Amino acid sequence: MKKKWMVSMSVTALLAGGVLAGCSSDNGGEGSSDEGGKTTITLAGWGGNPTEQDLLQQTLDDFEAQNPDIDVKLEVIADQYMDVMKTRLIGGEGPDVFYLDAFEAPALIETGVLEPLDDYVTEEFDVEDFEAPLLEAFQQDGVTYGFPKDYSTLALFYNKTLFEEAGVEVPTTWEEMMEVSKALTKDGVYGYGVAPELARQYFVAESLGGSVVEDNMANFGSDEVIEALQPIIDQHNVDKTSAQPSEVGASSGGDMFGQQRAAMVLEGNWNIPYLEETFPELEYGTAEVPTINGEKGTMAFTVSYVMNAASEKKEASWKLIEYLTGKEGMETWTSKGFALPTRKSVAEKLGYANDELRGPLVAGAEYATVWANGTNLPTITNNFNNQFVSAFLGERPLDEALKEAEEQANSEIEANN
Amino acid sequence: MSRKYSRKKLQEAGQGYFFMSPTLFVLACFILGPIFYAVFLSFHNVRLLGETAFNFVGFANYERVFDDRRALIALWNTFKYVIIVVPCQTVLAIVLAATLNAGMKGEKFFRIVYFLPTLTSSAVLTLIFMWMYNREGLVNFGLESLGLPTYDFIGDPNVALTAIMIMNIWATAPFFMVIYLAALQDIPDSLYEAAELDGAGPIRKFWSITVPHLKPITSFVVIMGIIGTFQLFDQSYIFSGGSGGPDNSTLTVVLLIYQYAFKTMDTMGYATAIAFMLAIVILVATLLQRKFSKEENLY
Repeated sequence: MKKKWMVSMSVTALLAGGVLAGCSSDNGGEGSSDEGGKTTITLAGWGGNPTEQDLLQQTLDDFEAQNPDIDVKLEVIADQYMDVMKTRLIGGEGPDVFYLDAFEAPALIETGVLEPLDDYVTEEFDVEDFEAPLLEAFQQDGVTYGFPKDYSTLALFYNKTLFEEAGVEVPTTWEEMMEVSKALTKDGVYGYGVAPELARQYFVAESLGGSVVEDNMANFGSDEVIEALQPIIDQHNVDKTSAQPSEVGASSGGDMFGQQRAAMVLEGNWNIPYLEETFPELEYGTAEVPTINGEKGTMAFTVSYVMNAASEKKEASWKLIEYLTGKEGMETWTSKGFALPTRKSVAEKLGYANDELRGPLVAGAEYATVWANGTNLPTITNNFNNQFVSAFLGERPLDEALKEAEEQANSEIEANN
Repeated sequence: MSRKYSRKKLQEAGQGYFFMSPTLFVLACFILGPIFYAVFLSFHNVRLLGETAFNFVGFANYERVFDDRRALIALWNTFKYVIIVVPCQTVLAIVLAATLNAGMKGEKFFRIVYFLPTLTSSAVLTLIFMWMYNREGLVNFGLESLGLPTYDFIGDPNVALTAIMIMNIWATAPFFMVIYLAALQDIPDSLYEAAELDGAGPIRKFWSITVPHLKPITSFVVIMGIIGTFQLFDQSYIFSGGSGGPDNSTLTVVLLIYQYAFKTMDTMGYATAIAFMLAIVILVATLLQRKFSKEENLY
């Protein structure tokens, strides 16, 4: 009898052990292993196109060559980056260094999972060199939590062939843009390809002095904002000279522009390599975003490197951030023009301001609105996008739609607190 | 002190539990544990990221559902979806099964062809359908050549949910068809022969013999259909890129739970509360269905 007990116990232990081992397998990826005096740190980010990945790898190789005692393990998270990142941070399995979009930054900073970086910064690192608005997106109460690795603004992409055929000039004001759209719209081609979402319309919404977010609450139902956005709606529903990508069967603004279904779109730096690869025949140019009410405006999107506060390799992690956002690393990373450098000195050196296609994008940095505003922007954006589309499609008046969305956003925000 | 169980019996039971322990462990770890944890979470305001905090809030999370306009929209969308998809897929399944059972040539071939959509992963299916639903895609091409109006299925809030419904009916009906096919084998041929002698045509035979004999199966199919459709997530997630748009038209309850659990921070407790409300709704719907069909002896 005793023997049987022993057997059943050991079988059980074996099975349970197997299950447990299955649960906890592969802890090695988190950079907790030191091999032969080498420190391994993990860097996580989303993927780019192959050339972009090569460029990042090259930058990392340079870093490892300079710091032979540090090994960088790059993890590419293909989809749902923030979901994956939040879950891993909760589980204590976060990477040492990772990408963070300015849009998500305030909420993540508030949770305290990011390491404040001010104490690591040396004189040589030269913080002053960063474009101030881009850096500010990663600061809270004067503390810096991340250094922007690159950015992009929006510029007007216009189709040279279609413009020539219609015999119109590149618009410099919003009124001109609406006028030339009329001349450009024919045979299934729309003058202006528009993305009816807050990330792209934010600067338009605030162009008449209103503010979309006030005291971390939604405020886009205010009269100034509605008045500022009305032309976007009217151009689509009254003039019928603009369209969103799905209306012409395109998947994005760049796609719509490349397929020559829209003669103008507002897109960013990412659109240049995209068009080069997908639509190499396309004849196009870029210009600064048309002025609204005589004021220049555009959006800026930026991503930074941040450090996990729970990291056990903080010194090595900082060295990596320091290199990647430093003058040398940033120059390698932005050398091919996939992204624009956030350091003034690097921008000057690479000379993108004089580049024919990238010039207008660089010029926008000066007056751009950075796509980030407080911890509740994700909730506000979700509600804005949902209702703005219904106004855009002419289902209901804009003021009614936005007022309702604002109410819903604010009730969600209040309930969350 | 009287002992209820003899030593031997206790030992035997202990041995039994030992043998079952791997399974019990897995069940407790991955099914029961998470359920109880979810119950716990639904009564708390949870903060997981950074400094973990649980504040007991009682029923506040449950009360919040009734004030949340998006939750009500999600519920309404899901309800519309269930009401339309479940009857359609059930009827389609029974008709497909009956035609395949009629003894035509090439029956097996069609059986496989009909079943293919069910074998396809729903994510792939959704992506293929999104191509077909494209403004310039196959469906609109077909509609146009028939002289019918075309739609922006993906961007227009009025038709987006309908597009998902059609896709799902097409994809799930064959699964239930197979269940019906199996059940059809159990209907004795003598019944059909007798009906034929009495002069019944194929339609009469279908209504008077096939349908009543399949009633218990229909009950099963409807219950499974209700449970499946109430849990609609992947299709509307892919269709709308996770937002439930355009204009909340493809927002389903499960998608909303996902958004609250993973997209907005610190709303995990509220998300679990909605999940429990959904479980209750499904339970009630299933009980109602059973009451109406009165086939309680089977399932």
